[in-house]
Amino acid sequence: MVFLTIFTYVALIGFVVLSAYKAYQYAKMPMHSRFELYPVPKEAGGIGDEERYHYGGSFYEEYEWHKKPRKVSHLSEIIDMLKEMLFIKILFVNNQRQWWLCYAMHLGFYVLFAWTACSFLGAVGQLVGFTVNATTGGWGTILYYITFLLGISGAILVAVGSIGMVLKRKKDAVLRKYTNPQDYFNLLFIFAVAVSGLVVWVTDPFFNYGREIFKALLTFSPIEPSIANETALAVHIVLLGLLLLYIPMTKMSHYVGKYFVFHEVIWSNDPNLKGTKTGEKVRKALQYKPKRTWSAPHISVDPRSDEAK
Amino acid sequence: MSCKDVKPQDLGKKTSEPLCTVEKLMPLPPPYDKPGMEPDFRPLKDSWKEDYCATLDGFIGVDTLKRPKTKEEEEEMIKKFLSGVDKLLSEDTNRSWIQPLMISFEYCAKCNTCSEACHIFKSSGEMEIYRPIFRSEAFRKIVTKYKKGNSFLAKFMGGDIDINIETVLRLGELAYRCNLCRRCAQTCPLGLDNGLMAKEIRKIFSMEMGIAPKPLHESGTMKQLKTGSSTGITKDAFLDLIEFLEDDIEEYTGKRYKIPIDKKGADILLIHNAGEFMAWPQNPMAFAILFEEAGLNWTMCSDDFIGYDNVNYGIWYDDVQARRIGVAQKKAAQKLGVKRIVVGECGHSHRAYMISTDRMVAPEDNIPVESCFPLMLEILKSGSIRIDPSRNNFPVTLHDPCNYVRSMGIVKPQREILKMIAPKFREMTPNGVHNYCCGGGGGFAIMNSFNFEDFRNKISSRMKFHQIVEAFQDTIEDKSIPKYVCAPCSNCKGALRDILEFYDATEKFNVHYDGLVELILNAMPFEKPFLHFLRDEEDEF
Ligand code: SF4
Ligand code: SF4
Repeated sequence: MVFLTIFTYVALIGFVVLSAYKAYQYAKMPMHSRFELYPVPKEAGGIGDEERYHYGGSFYEEYEWHKKPRKVSHLSEIIDMLKEMLFIKILFVNNQRQWWLCYAMHLGFYVLFAWTACSFLGAVGQLVGFTVNATTGGWGTILYYITFLLGISGAILVAVGSIGMVLKRKKDAVLRKYTNPQDYFNLLFIFAVAVSGLVVWVTDPFFNYGREIFKALLTFSPIEPSIANETALAVHIVLLGLLLLYIPMTKMSHYVGKYFVFHEVIWSNDPNLKGTKTGEKVRKALQYKPKRTWSAPHISVDPRSDEAK
Repeated sequence: MSCKDVKPQDLGKKTSEPLCTVEKLMPLPPPYDKPGMEPDFRPLKDSWKEDYCATLDGFIGVDTLKRPKTKEEEEEMIKKFLSGVDKLLSEDTNRSWIQPLMISFEYCAKCNTCSEACHIFKSSGEMEIYRPIFRSEAFRKIVTKYKKGNSFLAKFMGGDIDINIETVLRLGELAYRCNLCRRCAQTCPLGLDNGLMAKEIRKIFSMEMGIAPKPLHESGTMKQLKTGSSTGITKDAFLDLIEFLEDDIEEYTGKRYKIPIDKKGADILLIHNAGEFMAWPQNPMAFAILFEEAGLNWTMCSDDFIGYDNVNYGIWYDDVQARRIGVAQKKAAQKLGVKRIVVGECGHSHRAYMISTDRMVAPEDNIPVESCFPLMLEILKSGSIRIDPSRNNFPVTLHDPCNYVRSMGIVKPQREILKMIAPKFREMTPNGVHNYCCGGGGGFAIMNSFNFEDFRNKISSRMKFHQIVEAFQDTIEDKSIPKYVCAPCSNCKGALRDILEFYDATEKFNVHYDGLVELILNAMPFEKPFLHFLRDEEDEF
């Protein structure tokens, strides 16, 4: 099935390119008004023993802040980011009821990334002559079993998380009210991909097909499973590929949005001072002349002008 | 239909009755848990219903949002609204906000985490229309419907709403049921901001349709741009007020200070919310005494249009007005050649000066702006003034204004000061960056048309009142003990003045409010107490 090899390439490249395009669209937006929101995790120093990022303080607490060097902790920012990326911390803290299923699904994605990486490694290993199987022993066998564990747990987590969220949305009167057909569709799409993967797994319990896909991709040859059911695998690959192409075009691309909202908006608190990068960016941004204006009467006539008086 | 069943799509429903009305408000703690402890809502008048939009919740906040009388007027209004939607979503016409707006617009997962954080939603007894995502989701639906029409794709993506005159009117009112406090945004796993969405919707109405509450626009920013202050105080009136203050200060301290005005090249330009001179003159008076006693090189500004009023209501509803005022204010300071600006006890103007207008002028024209709190702490720590904390020996709690706490991270200086001057200081719960809004945020403190005061006092300020009563549970019923809510912000003081009066808390339970500098002054060893509720009649000044 050469088609599947080509399609998989298209889907993978498409996912990366479309996600990058999404990021580019946000990145090229003009500099906006400051709109930070505390706590900002990079804010270090502070009055007393407590660091500012603990209680939500900022450099504005400092007397004559503009004459003093900024105290910034990149470590604290990284720790905060990791907590959010790995554990969806904000949701856990504020809404544990939603967190379980949501986290199950996201953890499932992470586990499946790891599965993908292991399958890739296994494929490369096999191509260069290593044996990756259940019996030979050594690294090949360890990788074989790790791949199995990651694959099965990831698929189950994603399936349970996604369908669980659909059911929860259906059952909860408030959530139901705010859920659009597309929101259900997105979750069901993910569920379908996970289930189709599990169907393939039934025919190939140790996920040999993962390595076989990568071997086909690396050698530009048709995807031909040795154990897995061919039709089931084809369905799974097509569904997964379509999902990868679809995600960046929807709000499921929040991995992009989240970066911008935190780094460009709510943690972005550098003041506009002479001789700083931010200052220069502001100077440039101020040169823009809008092509259209708003239409309310007070917009075109400045109340301070002679015309208004 | 019960309020619980109302959906964002219902904004477009043609009804003559409100979509949602109060059923059961959040209970208040003792002694306010007993019946008869709070006044009822005032009934809605028929004439109001005819002319304005009372079909959202029965409150009218926007006194310029008039019902169109003819079909043509209706169509014209909807057309203007939609052209405002276009401009809001355009990089060309909404440059300064397009990035944060689009992120909040695009990514909501409808997880409903934000609802629990919103004091308006909780205080109202969880009225559906006040749920933070209700407004945002209605707006998303409107945009999707407008952009994608009646197509299958529109419905698939949630564009299942009618865009008619009711939708527009109700959305216009709904934009003013949010204090823009951003507490909900702190809890959003995606960092989205329903307060921002409310403010952006307000912009469509003001900047495209010319509709904004009169207290914010006509007698707010417009008046400020015309006369120099939203209070209407002109330069001459300001100079007279300063003289009165000097007289009052002399009477209180026994010393004649000359309040420096327009002192070229001063180290500090102190700017107040001009409302303080009218409603709470003790605040600028306390600043003047403190600064003079500490020997600072400071001045106030009477020059140019805006130098003596630090307010900028534009940040709540209209970018153009915000920019006009912000730039004029910074120019006034520049003309005076001061080294830095210090913002007095006004929350929104802290944010307007230091955050919202920070990127409106070139860096070399952006005179550094500081908050008054680190400066006050510095003065106390320097030992240049004497303090006797026992003069403040009564329960004190602190209200954290959202604008400089949650949105600016100024949390500790005020607390350090209180630790030095108020032995019975106790925190409210929650506090700091997780505080609740006073209920007057986003312009509500000055919006009093029709029955909007009832919405503020009974709903948007309810959580704050709840917190105050909780903070003083140990002494609330002992009328002999004065209790002090320290609210270092002009707008918050406005909202607090109203709730303490509305719930009769001063009269019944001896609960008072004022700023922080007044409490510092009260701890300074002058002969008479500075706080009015500690003074005898003969001590009045
Ligand atoms: S918490 Fe954020 S993502 Fe969740 S419903 Fe509220 S705005 Fe949407
Ligand atoms: S900004 Fe404040 S008032 Fe507005 S929805 Fe959020 S929590 Fe509620």
